[in-house]
Amino acid sequence: MGYSMRKNKTYHRKKTVLLWVLCMGMMVGLAGRLVYLCVFRSVYYSEKADDLHERERGIKAARGRILDANGEVLAANRTVCTISVIHSQIEEPEAVIAMLVKELGISEETARKRVEKRSSIERVKTNVDKKTGDTIRSYGYAGVKVDEDFKRYYPKGKLASRVIGFTGGDNQGIIGLEVEYEEILKGINGKILTTTDARGIEQNGIGESRQEPVAGRDLKVSLDVNIQAYCQQAAEKAMAEKQADSVSILLMNPQNGEIYACVNVPEFDLNDPFTLQQDTTGLSEKEIQDLLNQMWRNACINDTYEPGSTFKIITMSAGLSEGVVSPNDSFFCPGYKIVEDRRIHCHKRTGHGAENFVQGAQNSCNPVFIEVGLRLGVEKFCDYFRNFGLMEKTGIDLPGEASTIMHKEENIGEVELATMAFGQSFQITPIRLAATVSALVNGGKMVTPHVATDVLDEEGNVVKHLNFPEKEGVLSEETSRTVREILESVVSEGSGKNAYLEGYSIGGKTATSQTLPRSANRYISSFLGFTPAEHPTVLGLCIIRNPQGVYYGGTICAPVIRDIFSNVLPYLGIGHNSQET
Amino acid sequence: MRKEKEKKIDGTLLVTVWILLGLGLVILYSASAYNGRVRFHDPAYYFKKQLFASALGVIGMYAVAKIDYRRLFALAPWFYAASLALSTAVLFFGSEYNGSKRWLKLGPLSFQPSEFAKMAVILFLPWVMEHTKGRPDSLWFMTKAVLCTLPIAALVGSNNLSTAIILLGICAFLIFISHPGYLPFLGIGGAGIGFIAVFLMMESYRLERLAIWRNPEAYEKGFQTIQGLYAIGSGRIFGCGLGKGLQKLGFVPEAQNDMIFSIICEEGGLFGACLVIAVFAVLIWRLMVISIHARDLGGALIAGGIMGHIALQVILNIAVVTNTIPNTGITLPFISYGGTSVLFLLGEMGLALSVSRDTD
Repeated sequence: MGYSMRKNKTYHRKKTVLLWVLCMGMMVGLAGRLVYLCVFRSVYYSEKADDLHERERGIKAARGRILDANGEVLAANRTVCTISVIHSQIEEPEAVIAMLVKELGISEETARKRVEKRSSIERVKTNVDKKTGDTIRSYGYAGVKVDEDFKRYYPKGKLASRVIGFTGGDNQGIIGLEVEYEEILKGINGKILTTTDARGIEQNGIGESRQEPVAGRDLKVSLDVNIQAYCQQAAEKAMAEKQADSVSILLMNPQNGEIYACVNVPEFDLNDPFTLQQDTTGLSEKEIQDLLNQMWRNACINDTYEPGSTFKIITMSAGLSEGVVSPNDSFFCPGYKIVEDRRIHCHKRTGHGAENFVQGAQNSCNPVFIEVGLRLGVEKFCDYFRNFGLMEKTGIDLPGEASTIMHKEENIGEVELATMAFGQSFQITPIRLAATVSALVNGGKMVTPHVATDVLDEEGNVVKHLNFPEKEGVLSEETSRTVREILESVVSEGSGKNAYLEGYSIGGKTATSQTLPRSANRYISSFLGFTPAEHPTVLGLCIIRNPQGVYYGGTICAPVIRDIFSNVLPYLGIGHNSQET
Repeated sequence: MRKEKEKKIDGTLLVTVWILLGLGLVILYSASAYNGRVRFHDPAYYFKKQLFASALGVIGMYAVAKIDYRRLFALAPWFYAASLALSTAVLFFGSEYNGSKRWLKLGPLSFQPSEFAKMAVILFLPWVMEHTKGRPDSLWFMTKAVLCTLPIAALVGSNNLSTAIILLGICAFLIFISHPGYLPFLGIGGAGIGFIAVFLMMESYRLERLAIWRNPEAYEKGFQTIQGLYAIGSGRIFGCGLGKGLQKLGFVPEAQNDMIFSIICEEGGLFGACLVIAVFAVLIWRLMVISIHARDLGGALIAGGIMGHIALQVILNIAVVTNTIPNTGITLPFISYGGTSVLFLLGEMGLALSVSRDTD
């Protein structure tokens, strides 16, 4: 170094110290800032950070079961497993692949693809049996995850499909009891809080907290698997014999509204509710959905129809109650009745001739009931119509009940009144008809038809008995008895004789109605029967839609109810007359 | 060469450097393990690279400490020229990472010329001042220093504004030390603030940065800042424990880089963070002591420049992480990930040690 360097003078030193002091000051300031952040703001920031790190994973609650009147399982849960692999955690890839191939029966190629894929978590197979899941878990391989889930299962398959209903992907009810009693059945889902990294991958062993799920309650229903199965069989037989579009059978207790059976054939498989019975190729998604919705409809509740002659029970009750007609009143049927300028035919064109009211009922004579309707007048008729609950829904515990389709009162003339008197020109649901007739034959008590009876806990103890509204005094006890007697004579001597069963007292009424448009010559045939006639505890309604060949309700529906009664009554312990006293 | 007195190097500085280096590697491992595992299937990926650079740096530090700094001082113009050449080269042949062209690749090694530029400036400016005739309070004296810094600052600043700020900061430090007056610096300070204001107004994105600074939670681009604050706030007084932090799990982006101080806060709490600041304070104190005891102005300015370099980076880095100032990418010396950075920082420590050998 040939030159002499400048000296490090005092002022240089002073200034260096000054800079150092400034730097130290700033560092102390920053430390102060840290105190503020770490102490005074820490609650705020750490809460925000926790929100970021924690992930909620739901644990599904077991859905409550649905049990029939005898405790037979109609809807239950099956535990299924989802098998996944976590690439970053796998330690023995070859062993894992071999295990997956062996236990899941998948190809080695598939297993290898899943195991070797560098994703955070790769699903290998869903809906795996719990047993298989447990086996896989017992291998204890790192990076293999077995998640349990519940899947709804219906042990009886097609039985009472539209009543029980089914659940969707999140185990939520979609139709039937499954949706109506969702709150009782679903339980409370639990959750696991886990810590994750920014990609959402769970970090093992840090801060996991668990909230256990609460299983849903079981639901006990009044349906009886044996009765339901027998009715379904009877309906299927009738449908096949008459090549009908569909057959509905409803069996209930008219004293309390409990439903024993509700059949709509063809039924669909509850374990496979999204498969249509017809070919769906070439149909749009919307068309398929419409067809599915159609298939899921409960015709007894969701659809209305013209009740036809079974409605004469209502006209009869109103007439007797109002005193405009008595059983011995004389009538004459020339085969038609002229109302205003219209000639309304009786189903027997040649006429029933001279007959009293009871005989008119036995003959299901239209002119007789037209006469009763006209004697009542529009206002009274409508009052009874309302009073018998026909303008309201029954309140059955199933979703989607349809409303009555009825004329406006001010638009009802003599002709409309006449047609309504024998059950035409308006529409009600089968369940509405059954509920109203129940009230008319049980002594005048309007009951709410219902399927569910009790809420049970896991041990089968009744947690809650379900009560449904009842209304007394819809019809006097005396009139009700008269109605029962007349209807019993319809079966023992009149048009309902095909429902006659030796040793039992059965009341009932047949009906045959032409559907709209009348020109299509399509019919709905039905029969409504109840027993014992003195104190009815079983009421059955059979409806056959679009039967081929003979279509009279008395000919094709009454035998179905007779057949059902002959099997169900002994089963229910309803005594044979000869065994009484 | 002074042969009469062979003095010992500054032991405190050396120990502090070793502590900082060890601390830095431990913290870096903790902060980078997740990213290493996720990206390279090796939690020690970043740690290993840093360890290699540190080892190289330590060798360099001891070698430089052995050499008389005046011999290196004489080579300052060559270092400066090399730094200009490398910074130019990176503009053409540099490889990009995260959208910035800052690295020169040489086989498996990559080199960041901007880090070298800092050391070159720390050597070159004192050399210029030493070789400028005339009084150090003359305008020419100051202007010359600034003019010498501007080319390299402009080159580096074209893709790395933060380092350019550090370079200018070192320049300001050195001029301040070498100049006998105080008053002119008040004027310069005022002018600087005015310049910064105009600079910010010129581009709307810089104003946006200001808005983000004031309320980082309201902006998507405030994400990094907010994540840093979450980490700091989560740490509380004593932290969640080394290695146990969660924010480095991808929440604080590139946790091993600029934002590593937030991980120190999360895992070590206020206590750990203040400890790290204290170690830096000791380091800066020793550099100040070496500077004021240096026999000649050259040594004093080299030590002062190094002090300025470390102090500026530590202060700016912590200020950014704690959202005290708007976000700018400045690394924390010895702790943030960066091989070139740690290599030349250790080189600078070697220079300081060399200066410390020859003090009164």
